[in-house]
Amino acid sequence: MKAALKHGFMLICAAYISLPIVIVCLSALNGGRSMLFPPKDPTFARFWEFFVSEPVWLRSMENSIIVALASATLAVLITWPIAYDQWKRNTAFSRALTGLAGLPFALPPIVFGVGLSFLWTFVGGLGNIFTGILSHTALLAALPLVTISIGLQSIDRYHLDAAQTMGADEPTILRTIILPQTLSYTLSGFFFVVVLSFHEFIVIFFVSASAYSTVTLQIFNSLRNGFTPTMAVGAITFLLVSIAVFSAVARYGDLPRLLGADPARKDN
Amino acid sequence: MSDLATASYLAQADNGSRLNKTLRPPFDAVRRFGARSIIMTTIAAVLLFVFLSPILLVVAVSFGEKIEGASWVWAFDPSNYARVFVGIGWPDEITLLYAYKLGYTLAYAVLGSLIAIAFAFPFTYFLSQCSRPVQAAWLVFILASLSMSEVFIVMGWDIMLSNRSGLPALFKATGVTEWLKETGWLAVLKDWGLANPRNVKFKTSQLATVLTMAYLVWPYAVILLYAPLSRIDRSMIEAARTMGAGSFTVMRTVIVPVVRIPVMGTLLLLFVYLLGAYVTVTYFAEPAHQTLPVSIYEAIRGATLNAPFGAAQAVVLLTTAGVFIFASLWLSRLAENRGR
Repeated sequence: MKAALKHGFMLICAAYISLPIVIVCLSALNGGRSMLFPPKDPTFARFWEFFVSEPVWLRSMENSIIVALASATLAVLITWPIAYDQWKRNTAFSRALTGLAGLPFALPPIVFGVGLSFLWTFVGGLGNIFTGILSHTALLAALPLVTISIGLQSIDRYHLDAAQTMGADEPTILRTIILPQTLSYTLSGFFFVVVLSFHEFIVIFFVSASAYSTVTLQIFNSLRNGFTPTMAVGAITFLLVSIAVFSAVARYGDLPRLLGADPARKDN
Repeated sequence: MSDLATASYLAQADNGSRLNKTLRPPFDAVRRFGARSIIMTTIAAVLLFVFLSPILLVVAVSFGEKIEGASWVWAFDPSNYARVFVGIGWPDEITLLYAYKLGYTLAYAVLGSLIAIAFAFPFTYFLSQCSRPVQAAWLVFILASLSMSEVFIVMGWDIMLSNRSGLPALFKATGVTEWLKETGWLAVLKDWGLANPRNVKFKTSQLATVLTMAYLVWPYAVILLYAPLSRIDRSMIEAARTMGAGSFTVMRTVIVPVVRIPVMGTLLLLFVYLLGAYVTVTYFAEPAHQTLPVSIYEAIRGATLNAPFGAAQAVVLLTTAGVFIFASLWLSRLAENRGR
């Protein structure tokens, strides 16, 4: 009885969370130009529009992918040494760097977006896609920083001691033990950035200065003329990408552990 | 001959490598230290430039002076701040337009984060009791919904609440509207701003704004509460159970005291996140009830174009967030010390 109540509550929450998402996805099937639910004259024509016949969507999709992959790569490259240094040496300097790298994520994004738009106005590059990439790197670097730190902490000390006793130096240990053992955590951090960058709106809104647009921006811009079902195709695409990415993270990494569950309690 | 040469060459090479080996530790240390310091210095420079300088710039620009009909100049002019709190005509007259916006920003964020926690807490508690694979599946679901952008979520809620195809249409079709009219509830809803003479209406309303905000942070709440709730010591709960405590008593005397501080921390983080909500407010709040982020946007990129004033509002928002972030850090430190 109690278990049924619990599961009932969880399912109601799940339904509540899914409802708007499902509605957006189904609206993509509308035959007309307006967003109706339930959809009228269901058709898949919107998918054709999104992916083939309306180049504005494809172009913004391309921008989204470029920004997401590039900023995720940069974020991992920047945060790996920080996390490693903090784990290995834990000096005041490494702690300061860690704090600094996590700072933008802890602020209201609009404040950071405003600051970045000032920065790129002064040094040039406002509306350039490269500054968009750097902006997302800064905003989202906290994510790989956290996952990589968790990964480093989960390395078995015995392996390190064994390697050291057998005469391996720091680069060798790094290459043969630390990198392979933290790979799944690093990849998780990478994909967290990819997915959140896809959806991030306010920072890219400020730094793109309408010179280019990602899918999220394109949707917001088109909102002024009302919603159209074609936008919903964007939502579906993103949702599918997110589910695929997080399922992969769950499949190849320990998702509960990544999110802070007790590592000792594997099978309760 | 050639063999001999090869042999002596090999011997030399061997000698050389042995020499290398004896020399290795100090040289290597220098080389490694060099590489490390080059990497770390570069990273520190990048962090200062891209991560920190934007925030300092916002503060610097907020003291700038707007030139009428043109851009703005650097200055040390605190009047932008005065304008946020007491209006542009101060001290002759006081207008609280922006103070009200700050008030709405705080109110929406507080309500949104409280509602989210109220539903996320029991959910996460139940989740932490599931088996590990089930947990992983739920987490994929939560993370996928977490990654839906604010734009998509607003789109979904907009369809759900719109008069033509959403809840109002559903109310009408099922006769709920008629029933509300007959019982007089429609008039009450109208007083609350949730109905027009013909039907219920949720756009624009503060209810829709707050509920959408709660929806926005609900997955974050689950993710943040997941760690503390899944680390609760099961044996304590079992001990309480064996000694005859019911579910409610266990919740009150075992679980709540353990997770009280992480819950407060989560609440603060959600609150700070919601302080910056933009799309939801522009779509669901009527202009008179809009928040600082909207007017920051107006000042920086939108109609009014007054960068220093926008920056000043951003600093006010930042300070508010900063106060709460420090409070949450302090709380988590308190929690750590307790745990020892």
